[in-house]
Amino acid sequence: MSIDLASAMAVAAIAMAIPLLYAALGELLSEKAGIINIGLEGFILLGAFTSFAVAHSSGSNLAGVGAAIIVGVVVAAGFAFLVVRCAANQIVVGTALNLFAVGATGVLYRAMFGVTGSVLTVEGSPLLRIPLLADLPVVGEALFHRTLLLYVCFALVPACAFLLARTRVGLEIRMAGENPRAAAAQGVDVARVRALALVACGVLGALGGAYLALDYTHTFVEGMSAGRGFIALAIVIVGRRWASGILIASLLFGGVTALQFHFQALAFDVPFQFFLVLPYAATLLLLAISAGDTNAPASLGK
Amino acid sequence: MRRPSVLAVLAVLYVLAGCTGDAPQPDPAPTFKVALLSPGPVSDAGWNALAYEGLLAIRDQLGAEVSQVETKTPAEFEEGFRDYARRGFSLVFGHGFEFQDAAATVAPDFPDTIFITTSGNTVRNNVAPLRFMLEEATYLAGMIAASMSKTGIAGAVGGMAIPSVESTLLAFEAGAVAVRSDFKLIKSYVGNWEDVGAAKEAAMAQIQQGADFLIHNADAAGLGVFQAAQTRQVLAFGTNKDQNQVAPDVVLASAVIDIPAAFVEVAREVKEKKFTAKVTKLGIADGVIGFVVNPALRDRIPADVMKRIDETREAIVAGRLTVPSSEF
Repeated sequence: MSIDLASAMAVAAIAMAIPLLYAALGELLSEKAGIINIGLEGFILLGAFTSFAVAHSSGSNLAGVGAAIIVGVVVAAGFAFLVVRCAANQIVVGTALNLFAVGATGVLYRAMFGVTGSVLTVEGSPLLRIPLLADLPVVGEALFHRTLLLYVCFALVPACAFLLARTRVGLEIRMAGENPRAAAAQGVDVARVRALALVACGVLGALGGAYLALDYTHTFVEGMSAGRGFIALAIVIVGRRWASGILIASLLFGGVTALQFHFQALAFDVPFQFFLVLPYAATLLLLAISAGDTNAPASLGK
Repeated sequence: MRRPSVLAVLAVLYVLAGCTGDAPQPDPAPTFKVALLSPGPVSDAGWNALAYEGLLAIRDQLGAEVSQVETKTPAEFEEGFRDYARRGFSLVFGHGFEFQDAAATVAPDFPDTIFITTSGNTVRNNVAPLRFMLEEATYLAGMIAASMSKTGIAGAVGGMAIPSVESTLLAFEAGAVAVRSDFKLIKSYVGNWEDVGAAKEAAMAQIQQGADFLIHNADAAGLGVFQAAQTRQVLAFGTNKDQNQVAPDVVLASAVIDIPAAFVEVAREVKEKKFTAKVTKLGIADGVIGFVVNPALRDRIPADVMKRIDETREAIVAGRLTVPSSEF
């Protein structure tokens, strides 16, 4: 395999992995606090649409990212109100959110940009080159000549790990997820901790969407999240609810996805469906192998 | 004698009032109602957008009441057909090859509704396909690609491998091979019609394998193909709708379908009760299929290539050349 091909595949793998990594890290925080956010797909879609709509009308991708964060906060706060304050069923609310996101982004997109879609693109976010490192073979281009959101995403991996393992907030999050009653007895405001974790999850999901729209495809298409939110849910489990495990699982899924397109392009005499299922088959396989200790918080989903 | 209670009086008055309100009105002329089931969002500026424009054209030109719904799975196709037929729609379009089975299943239950699928070969009393011979235009695109390509390789990204999509790619390949016998077409499929990111990645992988021309038939996801073309500065072709302006620096030409004209024609037949169920093939000769070169990039196409394209187009119109397409 030539260096060029390897480098192209590294770029593709990481580009496919980032939205998943954002969403999965968000889900990690929320699940550690005891809340399953099945509405991740909705947050990605809302983030993609908001960032695109704002970036397109303001001409500033940063403004788009800011708007996506705001929408993430607001919608997640609504989610938190329902599942934490009103104790609504998390799965039901999450599913409703996914449906809401599909409908809302579709209606707004058509209202703003025309029903039959004048295809719109935004200027992609600028690539920031990190001197020296960007010249590394294979991974240099893929890792060190990328957009701001990519660097932020990778920085979030150790940040989340540190937050959960070493800080008081992290301890409270884990207590809320493991045993909320005991946590409350210790003076932890469980509702507040869970709501904050959900808001963080919403923001990260929305950032994943913003990356998808602004940095990666430079456009918005209805339903463009294309199931990434659900893959992210699986990635959290495959990654055993460790930030580093999630990083590896995201890269693996992104890598296999990129790889399968290269396999298709190599025009082997194999039905393309075989390649399309590879990423999912790999995820299932990993889940099967790693079955057993999922490291799930004791009070997850309750 | 017991005095009628006030309530009873009120009740009687209410019923009487209700009667006057419901005074039999002359039956309004039954409105001509037309519906569309689209397999994806109509904001895709392509395949689905065209159908929606067709629906609006039917509304505007024939005064029909129209409705549209997005359906993704075979179960939804069938439910969509049933729902509209039950509500008295005279004509329901299922926009694509994949709607045939659902149309054939539902049709016997609703003999007063005409079901049109915009591809395929399933014909029943009240089911018929409109086949847009987009192959004629993608054949021309293939000829251009083979004439201008330096590497002799092009990439094609499809949404799903349904026969109608495969057929357009087959024709592209045939056009290319007609010009250059060793031309190679790399075909990849995304697996859906929306994942722009995946379509971009598929195209990037093809470029990596040497493709210097790209074509897509992936609806909304196809926009990702243009993104890849822009990133690596290779040329691309649009499909279904004129997509030359989507990425004016790389989209050399578009293979287009004038769906609105065809939709209005069918709807007119149905409205005037002149409709007969048969496979209707519409191509360049009918003015429904077109091949539109991007004016901004026209200079890039050598004059002799353009001449050959024009000659081929004339041969297709005159019926001297039948463009290969898969039978389905």
